Amino acid sequence: MIATIVHTDELLQTIAASLIAGIGVTFLFSVGIWGAGQFTELSRSERPVAATAAAVVGSVALLCVAAALIIGIVVMTHK
Amino acid sequence: MNSDVILVLVIATALAFDFTNGFHDTANVVATSISTGAARPQVAIGFASLLNFVGAFISISVAATVAKDVVDAEVITPTIVFAGLIGAITWNLITWYFGLPSSSSHALIGGVVGSAVAAVGFDAVIAEGVIGKVLIPAVVAPILAFLVAGIAIGLSYRVVGRQRPGIVSRGYRYGQIVSGGLLALAHGTNDAQKTMGIITLALIANGTLGAEADPPFWVIASSATAIALGTYSGGWRIIKTTGTRIIKMDAAQGFSAQGAGAAVILASTHFGFPLSTTHVINGGVMGSGAAKRLSAVRWGVAGNIMMAWLLTLPAAAAIGGLTYGFTRIFGTGALGPILVALMGLSLIVAAFARRAQSGAPVEATGA
Repeated sequence: MIATIVHTDELLQTIAASLIAGIGVTFLFSVGIWGAGQFTELSRSERPVAATAAAVVGSVALLCVAAALIIGIVVMTHK
Repeated sequence: MNSDVILVLVIATALAFDFTNGFHDTANVVATSISTGAARPQVAIGFASLLNFVGAFISISVAATVAKDVVDAEVITPTIVFAGLIGAITWNLITWYFGLPSSSSHALIGGVVGSAVAAVGFDAVIAEGVIGKVLIPAVVAPILAFLVAGIAIGLSYRVVGRQRPGIVSRGYRYGQIVSGGLLALAHGTNDAQKTMGIITLALIANGTLGAEADPPFWVIASSATAIALGTYSGGWRIIKTTGTRIIKMDAAQGFSAQGAGAAVILASTHFGFPLSTTHVINGGVMGSGAAKRLSAVRWGVAGNIMMAWLLTLPAAAAIGGLTYGFTRIFGTGALGPILVALMGLSLIVAAFARRAQSGAPVEATGA
């Protein structure tokens, strides 16, 4: 009876999607900021290889954020 | 003829409700960006209203829930829907007047359930839909937003903790343009759909649409326009409550609170859960504050907000029920709803005039 009333599957999917999207996007965006910060610091201390690596990591993280947002909107509009 | 007059009144009232929903909720959507200094108030509000409009077009799952899973459309009349809407609008105005962040969504569902019970009895209410699709998600969603925001900000601080504060703060402020936009989009898609659902319910009740019909395009477009105009027009009074009274936020907290709110609202919308966007956003704000320091959250204010939330469903239901009873004094024709609409309009004008007399309710607090 309770299982019929509570839309368990949909509720669990909502919880999973919220956790993955909410935490994942914030984490990846933070990695993007970390990359920018490290790039600035390492460039100043004349370590170009490490600075480039940090910039690449940060950029990839920001690209993942953009991809996640686009996928989210596409999923929303295709139900 | 009478039924068509009532239907027109319902549509006009539903769009007015949608406007007040946007008006009432502007603060929830933009407060975080404004309080962290990520955006100037006018820019944040303009951006939010535009994305509210766009958001209304991306899904109709919540509209289907409101139209088909809350009350039995076969026993509902346009007058019942009208009385429910009046219950919701009246409660929205009361909470707006006193500066309480309430829930327009729960007010709407409470109002319609209350008027349906007053008119037909408890048989008119689809308990399974109300419990499974409204009440349980209503409890789960703010807690989920609290947890998501709390975990997200904890991780963020670990990642950027050793960076220079300037670049971190600037980064999250830029990020808030995106997270704030997503939150506005999420707000538009969940909240505008409730109005679409109510208008669709009235059209079904009137026999204009079939029982399984989706909202027509004109319903979607007019609901989108009404909520966007409402968002653009208002909500200044509650900005302070949401943005600064609960916690004093930094940009990272603002970003994680908005991201959590947007993720929970969009995921719930996808499955047709008509949430209180206010509850979810405040859950995210509290989560991002509590993760940093429990004492950073002013729990007393949070408690007052929760009291207002708890009151919303029964209060709107009571007003909806009383409104239906009042309309029936004048029979089953259009006279009762017309009189109520005129009285409601006078009430709104009086509230705005009184508010205008006492000056701007609350200043937006830019950081």
